[in-house]
Parts: sequence; structure tokens; C-alpha cells
Amino acid sequence: MKLKRFNKFFFSCCGFFLLNLFFVTSFMVTDSLAADIGNCLLCHKYPGLSRIDEEGKFRLLYVNESIFANSVHAKVKCEGCHTDIKKIPHDPAKKVNCLSECHIIEPSSEQKFSHKEVATFLSKSVHAKLDEKQNPKKYAEDMPDCLDCHDNPLFRPLSFFKRVRPGISEMALGRCRVCHKKDEFIFRFYNHVTTRLHTTRSPKNIAEMCGRCHDDPKIVARHNLTTRAVFSYGETFHGKAANYLDERIPDCLDCHINRGKSVHQMLSHEDPLSITYDTNKSAICTNIECHPKATPRLANYKVHLELTPENSPKEYYFQLFFIALTGGTLLPLMGIMFLDLFRRLFPNIRITRRK
Amino acid sequence: MEAYNIIKVKKGKKYFFRSTANQRIQHIILATCVIVLVLTGMPLKFHDASWAHYLYALFGGIKVAPIVHKTAGCILMILFVYHLIYLAYNIYAGQIAPLRKKKELSAGKLLKLLATLPFIPNRKDLDDIIQLFKYLFFLTDRKPGGDEFTWKNKFDYWAPFWGIPVLGISGLIMWNKEFATQFLPGEIINFALIAHSDEALLAALFLFIWHWYNVHFKTSVFPMGTVFITGYLSEKLMVEDHYEYYVKVMKKAGLEHEILPPHGSFAQESEQETPIRKESDSTPTDEKFKTYGSTKGGQPA
Repeated sequence: MKLKRFNKFFFSCCGFFLLNLFFVTSFMVTDSLAADIGNCLLCHKYPGLSRIDEEGKFRLLYVNESIFANSVHAKVKCEGCHTDIKKIPHDPAKKVNCLSECHIIEPSSEQKFSHKEVATFLSKSVHAKLDEKQNPKKYAEDMPDCLDCHDNPLFRPLSFFKRVRPGISEMALGRCRVCHKKDEFIFRFYNHVTTRLHTTRSPKNIAEMCGRCHDDPKIVARHNLTTRAVFSYGETFHGKAANYLDERIPDCLDCHINRGKSVHQMLSHEDPLSITYDTNKSAICTNIECHPKATPRLANYKVHLELTPENSPKEYYFQLFFIALTGGTLLPLMGIMFLDLFRRLFPNIRITRRK
Repeated sequence: MEAYNIIKVKKGKKYFFRSTANQRIQHIILATCVIVLVLTGMPLKFHDASWAHYLYALFGGIKVAPIVHKTAGCILMILFVYHLIYLAYNIYAGQIAPLRKKKELSAGKLLKLLATLPFIPNRKDLDDIIQLFKYLFFLTDRKPGGDEFTWKNKFDYWAPFWGIPVLGISGLIMWNKEFATQFLPGEIINFALIAHSDEALLAALFLFIWHWYNVHFKTSVFPMGTVFITGYLSEKLMVEDHYEYYVKVMKKAGLEHEILPPHGSFAQESEQETPIRKESDSTPTDEKFKTYGSTKGGQPA
């Protein structure tokens, strides 16, 4: 009797487990549908797929299907970017040109989609490789390419700008379903729209991204920059809060991009059109979402304070005073403490005749 | 005002009055606020440290910890203002008012009175420091015979008089940056951050190393001093740190014959005017609890 009951329980558990497995795997399959019409994943799905290229560099050719399926380019065919690949097996692929026209039709213009516009923005920004006279800038190779900033992050759909939790809102999905019937279509467009309504990276990630160049001592020295920008940002409350994963805190892009402009249009602080130009920068802090009650004086706060006698002598000597105060107070007291402890542990040591 | 006995005898041991209930409550609020402020402030100063994220998470992370920090800071500033009023009132009621009553108050007397208050640093403190160094370098076995408040007590007391205003004002500037920059330049926030951050580190190190060593961790007190809870200091520690005051109080209580020798092994060599007894001698009374003398509100009667 007991055995029968156990068997019943055991088989129910197994059944439940298998049912779960079915749902989980079927979800994974539907979740990982990428635009792989050319069947490239036939080979590239194998984690060990790699080679040493002509320059002796190790190249990992594996494509994680699940990550790719959730990436911003999930619906772009492999051939859309790798335009030189015409046959399988293919020859070594050329470097992808992000400005090439891909197979997607841009719905508002019904033209083939391309990132060429971004290149135009970038060419007018502080990060352009060419100067105003179209001559290569000094150390042009230090200027960022697309992939220096865009590492194709996963979707991070949200429910509204910085103050709202990331994730697909069930309430919003309900509204979509009123008109649209296919969930696959709804998820895709929800992701597409909402990920573009905010930055896909957290403020910490954005700072880290900029820091790859702006905290590199060699690049900082080569371009005569006065500060390690991300390091100095990290010493402010904004930077510290970003480090504690505060999503609401301003990051590099919030202060260095003119409102309403593309992040690719970042201008030098010496450009009168830049938001960071001396006479414009008060608009950064007094923004309605930040410190609307502040006066322009607040913008004189040195976010990128580099505490050196050359860059910020007043602040440098002010801090030096506190360092001296700390050392001057604590070192003698620590000395007394140490001697006191020593005297207590070895009370009978004789150095000289006692008075 | 509540009266306190200068000496209490409990289970045959003497305890000496140090602070009133009011002062102890002030001290406990101060200590609690400081600990909370350090725990919620240091993770910001050392935000890259591995421990910082765990500690900050204990206080609710970036969304809650700053609120906890500001609340503790406000309580500390209110306490500081209260203490200033408390101090002024006690000096007035205990020292100035009686002189006014006798119509003996003059500017010179007032200055002298203020300069000779027990917590004001004086020449004896300097002598005690010199004597302490002689003792620490094994040049003498005689420890400085501290008064009611030693130079260490005074240092610990006056340090927050510098620290709290510096931290409080700089904290308020950073907290209310929009208001502060209505009439101050934006650079003031840079200075406020430097002052707040560096002074906080100094205060934390000073309190958690120096102050705690002297009141909790030195071998004669370890593992914990209790005077901040009871308000009374044991005879052993009175002899060790406040010997001159101890002798004064014992004489005042008519207990000359029970005065212990000064701390250390020099008792036999020292010139003692008063008869001394060994520490192991029992007190003449077997009563469980006995008191001598009294003081009002922290001011010796």
C-alpha cells in the first residue's frame, strides 16, 4: 500500500518535472529566435569555434544564440552586416562597417536603414577624427569608433526614463494587446521603443565606458586633458551614487550633451554651442529634472576637480591642511598609545635610575 | 537639579562620580549618531572598497542610507546646540549667578572664572603631558597625577567643538546646495566636500582609535569601560588617571585613611603627605551601599 502511494507520488513528481522541462525549453526556443536565415548558427553555435588570424590574434567565432536573440541587432540577418559573405563555408570575413545599409527598411522613410547619420553627427563632435579643415587630428587613432562605445548590450526595456524600474510592464502589454495580436511582435516593438527612450546602460556602465579612454593616462596626456574625467566624476556624489547603481543619478552623457541632441553630437567645452561651455553650463544643473531651484552659481562647482597644485591650487592646499591636521593630530596620539601599551606590557624595564 | 553622591560604595568597592544622567544621555546620543554617521558615510568616501557595498546595503543602499546619514547628522547638530545651551546655563547658574547675587561680578572676575572652569586646558595639563612622556619613556615610574579632568578628557571634549561645526556646516552646504549657492560661489561645494570627507575621517580615527583605547581598550579597562553608562568610575581607574582629584575627594569625604597609593610601583619612594593603604585592604564598611558627599548637576558641591 505504502509502496503504491510512493510510486504514485514519484511518478507525479516526474510528470511535473517533465512538464516544467517542456515549458522551460519551449520558452527558451521561442526566446532565442534570431534572424538566422542563412543558417550561420549551424557552425557558429559551437562554443569552441575559434581561430588564430593572420595577425596572430585569437578570434572567438562563437555566437551565443540566446544573447544574440536578445540583442539590439537580433532581427538583422548576419549577411546584413557581414556583406562580404556570399557562400558557405566562407572565406575570412572582413571587419564590419557599421555604416553599411542593412536589409531593414526604416518605416518612416521606407528607405534601407543605415547608421550613416550617426557618422555625420560624430564627424561634427569633439570625438571626430578630422578637424574643421578635414585634416586628420593629432592622435586621430585615439578617437572612438562605433565599437569602442557600442558593445551591443542586451535590451533593458523600461517603464519610464530614469525614475522607473527597467523591465517589460505588464500593464503596458495589456494596452498593446488591444490592437496587436502576436506577442512576438509586441515584445519586439516594446523592446525597440522603450530601449530607445532611455540609455541602455546604467550611469556606472556609461562612466566606465567613457573611462576606457578618458581615464587612460596616456590618452589624457596625449590630448592635454586637465583631468582623468571618470576618476574625478567618481569622487563626486554623482559618481559615488552611480557606483552604488543609482539609476537616477546624472552620468557623463546627461551633462555633456545638449538637450535633445544625439549623444554622437558631443561638443568640446571650448565650443560656444556646447552645453559645457562656460556661459551655457548653468543650464545643465538647473535642468527641471535635476536642481531647478539652483542659480547659475551651482554650475561653478568643479565636477572634474583634479587635486593638484597646478589645476586647483586653492582646493589642493585646503585638502593639504586637512591631511596635515589629521597626521598632526593622530600620529602623536598613536605614538602615545603605542608607548602606553608598551609601558603597560613591560612595566619593569629599567633605562635609567628612577627619580 | 538632581543631586549625585561623589563617592558610592557598592559591595565594598568605591565608585567616584563622573557624569550626570543628562550628560550620559547626551554622550550616548552623540556616540550613536557618530557611529551611524561613520557607517553611512565611510562607504561613500571609500566607494571603491570591497566592503563598502556590503556595509552600505545594510543601511538600505544609495536610496535609504543618505536619508539615515542626514537624519543622524540633524540629531547630532541639535544635540550640539542643546549642549551649548546646557553648558551656558550650567556656567551661569552654577558660577555666574551666585557672584551676581553677591554683587561681586566684574569683567575681570568673569574672565577668570571662565578661564578656570574645570574643562578649560591649563598649565597643569602641560605639566601632566611632560610627566606622561617621562613615564612612557621609562624615565620615571610616576604617572601624572590627573585632576578631575585630564588633558585626555579635555582633548576628547573639545575635539567635537571643532569637528561638529565643520562637519555640520559642510554637510548642510552639500545637502542644500541650491540654497547655499544662492549667495555662495559653486566652488564652495568642492571645499565643503573636502572638509566633510577629511574631517570625518579624522574624527572617526580619533574616536575609534584614541578615544576607545583610553576608555575601553587599554589593559586596565579592557574589554569595556562602564562609566559612560553608570556615570561612576572605579577607584582603581580614579587612582590611575585622576590621582590628585581622587586624593582631594577622599579628603573631602573624610576618608584620608583609605587613600590608595598612586598608580605604579613608586609608592614607597614617593613623598606622600597622606597615610596610604594597600589596594587589597578592605574598606572599613561592610555595608552593601554607602555614599559620601554629594554634587549637584555635575558641579561639585
